[in-house]
Parts: sequence; structure tokens; C-alpha cells
Amino acid sequence: MASMDTLSRELMLDSLRNYAKKNLTHEFLKEMDDKNEFPTEILKEMYDQSILGVHLLLIPKEYGGISGGTFDVYRVCEVLARIDLGIATGVFATFLGTDPLSVGGTDDQKEEWMTRIAKENLLVAYAATEADAGSDLVNLRTRADHVLKNGELIGYKLTGNKQWISNGAVADVYSVLAMAPGGPSWFMVEKGTEGFSPNKHEDKHGIRLSNTAGLSFDDAYIPKKNLIGNVEGHGLLQAQAVFGYTRVMVAAFGLGCGWEALEVAIKYSQQRIQGGGPLSDKQGYTHKLIVPHAVDLEAARAYIEEISERLDGGEKGLQTEGAIAKYAATESGNQTAEDAIQALGGYGYTKDFSVEKIKRDVKIACIYEGTNEVMEMTIFRGCWQEHLKTRGQHYVSMAEEMDVLHSQTPEVGANSAALALRALAAILEECRIQRLTRHQYITFKLGKLISFAELAFIFARRSSADRYTETIKFDRNVWQTMSRVYAKNAALRIAIEGLALVLGAAEKDTDLAENLNLDKIQVLQKGLISDMDLIALKLKDTFKAK
Amino acid sequence: MHIVVCVKQVPDSTEIKIDIETGTLIRAGVPSIINPYDHFALQKAIELKKAHKCKLTVISMGPPQAKSVIQLGIALGADDGILLSDRAFAGSDTWATSYVISKAIKKVGKIDIILCGMQAIDGDTAQVGPGIAQHLAMPQVTFCEDIKIDGKKIIVRKLIDGGYEIIEANSPALFTMIMPKDFEPRYPAFMDIHNSLDKPYHQWSMADIGAEEQYIGLKGSPTQVDRIYPPPAREKAEMISGGANEAVEKIVDIFEKENFLKI
Amino acid sequence: MITISNKCIGCGKCVPICPFAAVQMMNKKAVMNEACTFCGACVQVCPVDAITIEREDPIHKDFSAHKGVWVFIELEDIPGKGKHPKRIRKVGRELLSEGRKLADTLNEELCAIVLTDKNPGYEKEIGSYGADKVYLVENSELSQYDTDVFSTVIIALINRHKPSVCLYPATIMGRDLAPRVATAIYVGLTADCTGLSIKDGLLLQSRPAFGGNIMADILSPNSRPQMATVRPNVMKLAEPTDKVAVVITEDIKLNKNIKRVKVIERKIVHEKASAKIENSDIIVSGGRGMKDIKKFKILEELADSLNGMVGASRAAVDLGFKEKSRQVGQSGTTVSPKLYVACGISGAVQHIVGMKSSDIIVAINKDPNAPIFNVAKYGIVGDVHEIVPKLIKSIKKRITK
Repeated sequence: MASMDTLSRELMLDSLRNYAKKNLTHEFLKEMDDKNEFPTEILKEMYDQSILGVHLLLIPKEYGGISGGTFDVYRVCEVLARIDLGIATGVFATFLGTDPLSVGGTDDQKEEWMTRIAKENLLVAYAATEADAGSDLVNLRTRADHVLKNGELIGYKLTGNKQWISNGAVADVYSVLAMAPGGPSWFMVEKGTEGFSPNKHEDKHGIRLSNTAGLSFDDAYIPKKNLIGNVEGHGLLQAQAVFGYTRVMVAAFGLGCGWEALEVAIKYSQQRIQGGGPLSDKQGYTHKLIVPHAVDLEAARAYIEEISERLDGGEKGLQTEGAIAKYAATESGNQTAEDAIQALGGYGYTKDFSVEKIKRDVKIACIYEGTNEVMEMTIFRGCWQEHLKTRGQHYVSMAEEMDVLHSQTPEVGANSAALALRALAAILEECRIQRLTRHQYITFKLGKLISFAELAFIFARRSSADRYTETIKFDRNVWQTMSRVYAKNAALRIAIEGLALVLGAAEKDTDLAENLNLDKIQVLQKGLISDMDLIALKLKDTFKAK
Repeated sequence: MHIVVCVKQVPDSTEIKIDIETGTLIRAGVPSIINPYDHFALQKAIELKKAHKCKLTVISMGPPQAKSVIQLGIALGADDGILLSDRAFAGSDTWATSYVISKAIKKVGKIDIILCGMQAIDGDTAQVGPGIAQHLAMPQVTFCEDIKIDGKKIIVRKLIDGGYEIIEANSPALFTMIMPKDFEPRYPAFMDIHNSLDKPYHQWSMADIGAEEQYIGLKGSPTQVDRIYPPPAREKAEMISGGANEAVEKIVDIFEKENFLKI
Repeated sequence: MITISNKCIGCGKCVPICPFAAVQMMNKKAVMNEACTFCGACVQVCPVDAITIEREDPIHKDFSAHKGVWVFIELEDIPGKGKHPKRIRKVGRELLSEGRKLADTLNEELCAIVLTDKNPGYEKEIGSYGADKVYLVENSELSQYDTDVFSTVIIALINRHKPSVCLYPATIMGRDLAPRVATAIYVGLTADCTGLSIKDGLLLQSRPAFGGNIMADILSPNSRPQMATVRPNVMKLAEPTDKVAVVITEDIKLNKNIKRVKVIERKIVHEKASAKIENSDIIVSGGRGMKDIKKFKILEELADSLNGMVGASRAAVDLGFKEKSRQVGQSGTTVSPKLYVACGISGAVQHIVGMKSSDIIVAINKDPNAPIFNVAKYGIVGDVHEIVPKLIKSIKKRITK
């Protein structure tokens, strides 16, 4: 689904921001967070078509929606996360809840349910997770038993328990994953169905404005027309089909929370005078707590936008790319929020300032929609396949593209990105030769290193483009400097951590060290500190304190 | 009735960027919003449109990026929009601006009501509305808080010093609107924005509206910016030293000297 | 130049509307004579847009004939005395005071424009603030302000007597009138000037922009008169003298059909005469630092001891410490008293904009870095709740001495 034009999208984001400015003040959010309360009225208004109608974004035009594309959804998710991740999660759960329908539903089912969701402004929940089935859905225990009448299948009885379901106690409609005789299957269940009841709202560390509740099914009867796709057994595939873009949405959450926290820190640092000047002028502060996170977040943004454009262009799947986006952005967002508390010192530790709440909130992004460990594994699996398929050429070809880019646009750090990619290729090759991927630890670490290389590649490419998207707040010089810094760091980390990794597990001698071009990588570190100085200065300019 | 609302896109913050050479504003790089007074005028216009089935056109003079306030107007309910954009308009003061807008309104044809925000929050002059009315030889009522249509007549509540007047006017007439303190601007729902995509807006240049070069831009503007400078640094305060008792006595000495103490 | 095209349908509407009897019908077409002052009243009423006034190319204009600093005098009802003759608004005296300085620099006359139904002798007060002349137009149609009538008259006067400068108050009336006139005669108009001076024979108009973050100096070199509006309480009053201005009565016939809008109702919301904070010479103002509505009340005592009035910052009004009518600042009232005492006010830009032209500002705040100290003349760093009671005691003691 193609995305909207920039103007319309910006108008929607303006309406969202203005709604938040008026109704979702810091005091209100803090109060709801303290009380662990779901803001029912707010969600009602946000879904009300005459006020906002956020849920329409993911419903196709033909069912009364807006047919938003991935880029649109990424931007809305980012802005929602900046407002409150709990509320964002509530909206996201509705998006997620309609996914099995979009992917696996029959036309009649889509017509019936999507139209209702759009028109009646229904909140939806996505009920997959169970006590013993989180990352690993194969252990699914909720059963959907056949109900027969006169020998004919007329419906199903659901029995089992779901855990930690967003919108669990407040949704109007649920997509429930249950084990039918034919295999895992998705079912639409309405609120109030006999035998179905949500449990109490969990008391959580963060996203306390998101209603999270377990669900209990005790012979809850649903008619057979509620089986999505009218065929049993396709549940897991249907779930996985949309991972590409549900992961992009959570990546956008990480990005939004990260930038919200970072902006608070940047503004604070200009007003806090210690040691004869504002903290924003002190390298020890900015180059530790601010600059690296700005760089990492923008690298994640570049990657998210690349994947969003590819999905909007019609590509399907992209689950591995989605995993890279989700992993990188949420790790960054989480670390940024952590350092934002540090950046505000004592003030950051109190609830008067928003950063401690953002830190508590953003942590969930590293856990839900696939834990970041699962992401590391997914990234590794997908990229390892590419490495094998191309006999080690995959990352080398990418490096060659970076060589060409560097000759045209030397400012984006494409030379470091090329070194990063070649180092990665060498490390992967060594792992293959010595069969080191039999160690699970190695595979997860490789997932992490792969994500650095992938981001460096995309950031270099996109920062050299003639035109940037409307989301980029920085001018060419700054964004390209950030790309340069990212690439230099990526190359160094991949080379050194990758080498350590291999040497720690290798049983045979290896000359990997020579193949990593460490000397060149070190030489290219030159200028890093003045690049960081520039970024610190520009961040101050872009986010001026009052 | 056909209503035209004039709206302006203005910078969102007090972050100013000035082109020192020409003394004109650089609008790029600063987030923009619809002028709040124009937002109020637009909402009033939409109320009238709904109650009396009027046709509503939203018009704006600005750089190409100002099309976002046109689309906002359409999403909120306007029937069509016109963006007046031409490099030749740059640097226009309020006279030249009201000239350009009045030429465009003439091109629109027979209209009954023109609504403008009372002033723009960047220029703060409140001069363009009356300027348009004068160029079009129309009656004007400024500082209006409310507007209603009664048959063929237009009734407004206008602020005056110390109170208000209820004024009746015949069409065509121009009204500048000032919002009450409790005004809550409405923003369009997602579906309204989506639907507005089907209504394209027009973009008119200097040639399209027949504006004459001598009356537009820096050349046509009778006022010129001589220079722009930061406000003068004030002399620092004389801080009265001493504890509370001593400081209080010193201040009362000053009051006495300046004749502030009256028997 | 004024031309009547062949669009003229001979309806004759322009004839009675002309204040100067400059239009006649000849052979069923309208014709202008030399009494025309280009006031534009006929242009406004012509149903077929047959009349156009052509603007002269500014570069070739000769301005040597333009002399005189003019001030438009706004009249207001005396509160509680609707039927009596109106009085001159205070801002008029301020503009005359400022205008006198400009006129002296230019070596030109200072003239006031008064539009009224009956002149009770305004020339005395106008003269005492420095005016040489009063151009008086007396007509029953001028009893209340109307855009069409007033702009027509002023345009006629300007075209007749050619001033070099024309000042208006930036009041509701002034902001309605001045742009109408400026557009009609194609001259420069600068709004809300905080400073006026003469540079190379031109009026240099200074005004703040973007919430006061920058200042701009504006010139209108190629048109006359150079027009500006000035807000009340910005210019300082001169000491009045016993000069009386010479009255020049201008004969302008006003047809009531020039008015195109009708006032159906007029309602003045009566306020106690003393309730206007901008008229007070001494203001004691409180901000968020006063902590609560009870503690805020001590400022009444301090104000009373100085015969002043109590004001409030926006924060204090929002917190309910004082009513909105006493709010000082960008979204409240602009004041420039002789003494402004700021108690527990931090000095946000939007407050400072409303009080910075006070003669003497005394600030009391426990934060030595509060921005209010940047505009204050005298500052005390201390706790208002300790300082203010001591201040009251000391003032009372000093007075009874």
C-alpha cells in the first residue's frame, strides 16, 4: 500500500499533536501513570472519526478506512510514542489485531469485520501470548475444539488462558490464536462472549496507560464464520507474514521515545549551568550522553525509512529487515532514555520531569513484538542465509557499492562502511569455516554486529541522496556527519568485537586479524572528535531551550 | 452566499531568521502553523457554510509550502482553495499584500463575505484585512467576535473600547475576526484530511491574477525596513544590598526622593 | 487622477455621496470637477466599478509641498456620562507630546484632526500639549465612529492639506481607520511603533517584532504622509502649557449614505472609573512567587500605602490570585506607570513586554537570576513574604513622620 503525500501526512500528524497538546498534558499523563489507569475517554476520542480516527490508518479504503502506507504508520507511531508509549501501544494493538484479518481473512470476513471496526470505532486486541508461549508460539495451549451439530461443524469452543494482552480488558473485538485440530488458527472473538473474560489490569513498570490483561477462555463458543480464512492451521504463517511491518511500528516506538527523551536532555543541558557554563558546552557530557544517541537514533531512522519505502513499494515479507529495524531502534531508544535520566541528574530522577517515565515506558519495546534476543537470532538467521547463498559475496557486494559511493560523496563515511562490511564478511566466513555458529552465543552476537553493518550501509546511502524526507530535521552537513560517525564506530566495533568473538571460540588458528583491515579502520577514526563537536553544536541549535 | 476566508501560514515559534540584506523574513527551517486568528475566522466561516449552505473558498498568499494551510482549510470544510504564490510577491508589505489578495478575490468573481483573522501573529499589524476591503471598495467591520447571517444581512458582534456593538451589513463586506479567550481551535480528523485529497486547490501566480509589477513585492511596498537589530541591552539593575531591614529602608529612601510617598 | 470609464450607467449614486459636490451628471454620465479630493467615497458606492483613482508613480512625486505633523485625536465617552461631550483619550495627549518633538525637529507645524458632532473647546487641551492647529470637522454624522465616514473625511483633509506625517492611536478605532486610509492613498503605515524620530528628514518608525525578540526600524521614503500607529501608554506625556491651538473648521458635507454598515446596538460594559490599571501612576504587581491567594492579598496593603493599584502577572491570574482585568503583559494590559513594583515575578518575556516602559521598576525576587532584574532599575534579592510587610511598615512610618 503506497503511503500518502507528505502534506496530508503532516496534516494528520498536526491534528494528532494538537489533540495531545490539549488533552494529554504532562500532568494528565503523570496522574494516569501514577494511578495505573487506562485513559478510556482519550482512546474513545482518538478512535472517534469526527475527532481523530487513528484506527482508520490501517483499514483499507474499501472498508471505510484510509489505507495508510508503512511510511504513514511509522510516522504516526513515532509521534504517538513521543506522546505516550502506553497510548501508542493501545493504538498499535488495534493495528496488530486487524493483521490476521488483512493477511488471512476471506473477502467477506474482511468486509464484515474491518467495516465494523472502522465505522463503530472499535478497539481491537491481538491475543497470541500465553504463560508458556511468548517468543515461542509453538507451545500454544489454548484449544479451539470443534462443535458439531448433526455431524456438521458449526463452531468452536475456546479454552485456555492468554497473558499480557494489550487492550486485554478494554477491547471490543479480539483476534485470538488457538490450537484447532488442524493447527494454530486465528479466531475473531467479541467482547462479552459467554465463557470469555478478561482478567485484571496488570501493574507494570512502564506503559501503565496501556491496559494489559490476561484473558480466560472457558468453553467460549464462537461460530465457525469467525475462523479467519475459514481454514485451520495457517495461524503461525499469518502471524509471521506481517512481522516486517509490525516490527517497523515498534522500531518507530523506540525512535519516538528515544528522541523525546533526548530532546528533553538537550534543552535541559542548555539551561543547566555548572562549572562556569552550560552543560551543553561540555564535551564530557555531550559526547557521552547526547551525541552518540543522536547518531544511533538517526541511523535507525534512516533504516526504518528505507524498509518502509520498500514495503510501500510492494515488497512482501522483509521480516529480517524488520527485525534489524526493531532491534536497532529499540536498543537505541532504551539506552538514550537511560542516559537522559543521567543527563538530567537529580531532576531526571524525579517524576516532575518526563525522562524517568520515558525510560520505564521504552523498556517494553525491547521485549514485546519479539524480544531483542529473538531479533538477534532472526537477524542472524536471515543474513547468514544470504552469506551462504552468495558464497560469502553478499556483504562484499554491499562493500563495493560503498566504494563507489565514497568516490562520489566522500562526506558520508562510505569508506568506513565498506570496511565494516568487508570485516563482517570476513568474520562470517571464518565462522563458517570453523563452524562456530554451533555456539548460540556467537549467532546472537553476530546478529548484533550485522545490524551495525546494515545500518551503516543504509545511513551512508540515504544521507548521500539528493533530497531527504520531510522527517529529517538536520541539514545535509549534519546528517552526513552523523552517518560518518556511525560508520566509523560500526567498523571499529565489528572488527574488534567480531575478532574477539571468533578468537574466543575458534579451535583452529586463524589469520582473521589480517583480513579485517584494522589498520585502515583505525586510520579512518581520524576526525571523529571534531565531528562529534559539530553534532553537539548543531543539536543545541536545532533544539533551542526557551 | 459565497464566503472567502483569507488565511496565512506563520512561523510557530519566536525563532526568527532575517535576511539582513533585504530586511525580509526567511521562512525556511522554522516550523509553521496556521495563524490562530485565521483559524478562528475559518471555523466561523465553516459554521456559516453549514448553517446556510454557503460556498466557501480559502485563500492564502505565501511561498509554496503555504499549501498546507490551504489543505487544512479544505480538510476542515472549505469547498476549494487558492494559493497565491509567486517569487515576485516576496517582500510585500501590507499594502502590496492586500493588493495581491484583492486582485485574486476579484478573479474569484462575485463574493458575498470576506473573513480574515484580525492580525497575523508574526507581523501583528492588523492592516491587511482593511487593506483588502479598501482595494475592493467594500465596507469593513474589524475586531468581530461573532458573525451570523440573517436572510440577506450579515450581523456581527464587534469589539469596541469598553464594550461591543452589534452591526448589520449588506453583502459584499469584509470582516476581521478576533477570537474569544476560550476559543479552542479544531483540527481535522484523519478521514477529513484523507477526503481533502480529492479536492485539488488552485495555485495562482502574478500573471494569473493580473497583478501589476509596480504594485507588488519590495518595489510596490510603501514601507521599507531600514534595519533590524536586537533590542537594546538594558542597564543592569542596581541591586540593593544589605539584609531585609537595610534594603527596605534604602528602597523607601528612593520612594521618598522620587515623591512616591503621598500623605 | 480620477477617471470615470464608459462602464458608467448613469445611476447617479455617486452624486449625493460626494462630500465636496465634485460629481455631476451630464448627459446621463457622471463627471468630476476640480473640487474632487480623491477621498474615494464615490468609488465605494459605484455599482459597476466605473470610477478609478489612479495612483501616481511614487518615484516622481514631489514631496516639498507636504508639511505638517498630524495627530488623529480619538474621542471617548466619559464613563457614566453618555450624553455629555466626549473627552480626548489619554493616548491623544501622548501622541501630541511625541508629535510636538517631531514637528520641532522638522520645523513644521503640529496639527490635530478632530472629527466630532460638536466641539466643546477641545483646542484648549490639544493646544496645551503642543498643537499649533486643530483641523475640525463638525457634523452630526461624526457623533460615533464609522469606517466609511471617518476615512472619507481624513482622506479629503490629507489630500487638501498635504501633511508629511500622520499619527494614529493603535486602538480599536485607530487600527480600523489607519489602514483604510493608508491603502486608499497608497502610503506607508507602520503599526504599534514604540519609537519615532526623524532621520534625514524622514520619519523613522521603530517597532518590536516576534514578541519583542527583534526591533525593526521602518521608513516610508516614497509616499506622504508617512503614517504610523502608536499604542497607548508608550509615549511619554509632556508637561502641559497654556497654549491654545488655532481652530480651522473644514467644511465637508456628509451624506449619510456614505455609511454602509448600521449599528444596531451599542453596549458599554461599565467599569469603575478607578478600575483601569493603565491609568494608575503606581502599580504593585504580584506573580507566582506570592504562592497563594491569601498571601497575594498583602500587595493590596502595599499598593494602598502608595496610593497605587494592584496588578498581576499571567501566572498569578491563571492561578486565581487576581482577576484578569488586572493582568499586565502581552495578553493583558500594557502599562507605563511612574513606579512598578514587581513582587515574586520572574520576568517572562510576555510579562516584560507589558511593563518595561515604566519609569522606575523595582523588583523583589528570591532568585538573583530572575530575568525581571534585567529590566528593573532597582532590585532586591529576598523573600517577598519577608520584604513586603517590612516595606509596608516602613512606608507608613515614613509618611506619618
